[in-house]
Amino acid sequence: MKFKTLFGAALLASTMLVAGAANAKSLVYCSEGSPENFSPSMNTTGTSLDAARPVYNTLVQFTPGTTQVEPGLAESYEVSDGGKTITFHLRKGVKFHSGVNGFTPTRDLNADDVIWSFGRQWKPDHPFAKVSGGSYDYFNDMGMPDLLASIEKGADDLTVVMKLNKPNAPILANLAMDFATIQSAEYADYLMKKGTPEQFDQIPVGTGAFSFVAYQKDAVIRYKANADYWGGKPKVDDLVYAITPDATARYAKLQANECQVMGYPNPADLAAMKANADVQVLEQAGLNIGYLAMNAQKPPFDKVEVRKAIAMAIDRDAILKEVYQGAGQKAKNPIPPTMWSYDDSTVDYEYNPDKAKEMLKAAGVEKLDTDLWWMPVQRPYNPNAKRMAEMMQADLAKVGINATLVSYEWGEYRKRLQAGEHQMGLLGWTGDNGDPDNFLAVLLGCDKDGKPNAQNIPKWCDAKFNEDITKAAEITDPAERTKLYQDAQKIHHDQAPWLNIAHSTVFEPIRKEVTGYKVSPLGKHEFQNVDVAE
Amino acid sequence: MIRFLLKRLALTLPTFFALMFVTFVMIRLVPGDPIEVRRGERGISPERLEQLRHEMGLDQPIWKQFVDYVWAILHGDFGTSIVSKTPILHEFATLFPATLELTFCAMIFAIVLGIPAGVIAASRRGGVYDQSLMGLALTGYSMPIFWWGLILILVMSNTLHLTPVSGRVDLIKFYYEPVTNFMLIDSLLSGQKGAFWDALHHLILPTIVLGTVPLAVIARMTRSAMLEVLEEDYVRTAKAKGLSTYRIIGVHALRNALIPVVTVIGLQIGGLLAGAVLTETIFSWPGVGKWLVESIGRRDYPALQGGIMLISTVVIMVNLIVDLLYGLINPRIRHAK
Repeated sequence: MKFKTLFGAALLASTMLVAGAANAKSLVYCSEGSPENFSPSMNTTGTSLDAARPVYNTLVQFTPGTTQVEPGLAESYEVSDGGKTITFHLRKGVKFHSGVNGFTPTRDLNADDVIWSFGRQWKPDHPFAKVSGGSYDYFNDMGMPDLLASIEKGADDLTVVMKLNKPNAPILANLAMDFATIQSAEYADYLMKKGTPEQFDQIPVGTGAFSFVAYQKDAVIRYKANADYWGGKPKVDDLVYAITPDATARYAKLQANECQVMGYPNPADLAAMKANADVQVLEQAGLNIGYLAMNAQKPPFDKVEVRKAIAMAIDRDAILKEVYQGAGQKAKNPIPPTMWSYDDSTVDYEYNPDKAKEMLKAAGVEKLDTDLWWMPVQRPYNPNAKRMAEMMQADLAKVGINATLVSYEWGEYRKRLQAGEHQMGLLGWTGDNGDPDNFLAVLLGCDKDGKPNAQNIPKWCDAKFNEDITKAAEITDPAERTKLYQDAQKIHHDQAPWLNIAHSTVFEPIRKEVTGYKVSPLGKHEFQNVDVAE
Repeated sequence: MIRFLLKRLALTLPTFFALMFVTFVMIRLVPGDPIEVRRGERGISPERLEQLRHEMGLDQPIWKQFVDYVWAILHGDFGTSIVSKTPILHEFATLFPATLELTFCAMIFAIVLGIPAGVIAASRRGGVYDQSLMGLALTGYSMPIFWWGLILILVMSNTLHLTPVSGRVDLIKFYYEPVTNFMLIDSLLSGQKGAFWDALHHLILPTIVLGTVPLAVIARMTRSAMLEVLEEDYVRTAKAKGLSTYRIIGVHALRNALIPVVTVIGLQIGGLLAGAVLTETIFSWPGVGKWLVESIGRRDYPALQGGIMLISTVVIMVNLIVDLLYGLINPRIRHAK
């Protein structure tokens, strides 16, 4: 009798388990590589940021599929003191993941976690500042150390007051970036006491839609749905990143339903993907720009007529067809069309080699020997810089310009371009936070003394342009900022410090059964709203 | 035998040292700095670069860096990856079993098919079997690995649905913590029904792809070694004694023909351990080959140096075992002064 009861119970339990397993919904994302670690504050690669994103949240966040900033862990915020103070009101009852790495939180999210998270990146004496190598590139790149005056607890545990040294409108967009993730101060203490602080960056505990389960280098990352998620429980129970470095293999897995979403398809496979009834190919203009910079500090490129003539001598339609193979859009402004303040009234330079020749003659340039630099790597905004440079070289020859092609190892290439060794050089940019400041000020801005920023590759400074973008960064009124950025784009067009080449298109193939997936213009892969039809 | 072993071991020491030195210098001759290479368009200020280089010890003179490195290795410290900040030994221990498992299966595949193919071809010299087997071997040898892998995936996985596309086990059906990092063993230890067969299933395509070239080499080598041996006097004597063909080939000829084949197998294993990069990439196989190639791209000096040293150790050990095997197969070598 006893045996029968036991047997019956075991049978029932196993049936329930099997039924549970059968009902559990899984989503497999074929990702392209292994993360460096799971702390977004320390990483700059999309692969690493994607791997940590399911686990974490930021104070404010980008609405999926857009660059609009919306409330995140802070349910509201106020800007005061002429833009120099931001007060965040945190959501009540936000839970950190429980049971990961033996950690059970004893309290909900509060201001201490926010102060701790920024403090680690900001203060060298923070107990975790040096843990795991302690390099906080994004925090520094976005100019946070210069901007922040203080971050303190406000009137209660759920209020955080951030004081700035000067008004800065783009900071809210910065705070939606992954580096501004809020981590658990209590988990950090727990690990410090345990003597394993480095696990903080390897076994993540956050407030996100999914909690971390396991990671095997070069093979798989597993997460499970966070039932207590403040944004509502995700629609899938298990999220799996199947690390699949080869793009063709990723597509083969998608076809075999071994994964349902894949990143970074091989452009050569796109036609077949679009023809496959099981697959839908989502696409969106990428938040990027590929350009040809002309060094305005080196003659004859200091003359605006010469720069304009070159803009008209190059056949960009042919480049789009040949180099981007249709996966790009001709650029007429330095910022992409999906970004707010984009000036659609700009009339692009036409391809007209005869006119270009005349303009060069008028500028006193009839025969010119110059260089044309191409980067040795494939980038999102430029799939084949060498081929592009060769096509440009042929176009320039038609107007009497003899361009010698130059390239260096990637790190060296960028360093020499930044030092201004080039006359003409190819480069580009992928946006970080969807704010025009992140393109116009970073790539074309100059300091007070008229010295170009390091990343100003055309080495071009225009007083009016600089005034516009500086002012736009300091005010918060969106309409006013838009006007200033549009004016800056007009100046850029008239001065042509660089030739806008293209904004490449981002493609993301997903299985037909997948719903709710949105392509992020920022290149993020997010799964909290994704469902898989049975 | 022990003297022979000790002599061989002593000979490996200079090899290790030379390898350590060459790896250390070569990676530093490649343009690009581990810090700068990660920065992309963003760049880095000269002050910050200097600070990070100092923290990593890259601002020290090369000789000093090398002495420190050798000292650390002698203390069993292979360093920490610049990228993942994980100890190299730990990364290697996680990834190497995957490579070893795949190499082992590929070698078994190559030996089990290659030796009989070579023997058949040799015994039917000039005939249809010989011509077709050697034709196939030549095709296998010249096959671009990447293309071969993708074709197999397209046909076997996407069209016939016989095998999984890539990975080591079905990620949805099975989940267990790795114990040994050998998937076949871990799947058995997990006790999950069907896990072992699933892991075996995932091994089929990568094994075929990785084993194709060694299979071709072994088949061709066996054939030529057999042909040579079959013309020896003792084979003629055996024939004259009226022994069966099976006995002549299987017992007398094959053992002698195996000596050069074993050498080739040893060399192939060495090549496979570090050279499985393409197979590992196509089949998302988390092994050391792909890890090393990525480390070159990222200029991850410690990972590259440590990885190469550890793989070299294994390759040298394999060669040592091969040398010992000669002794077993051919007593003349064992007793040679």
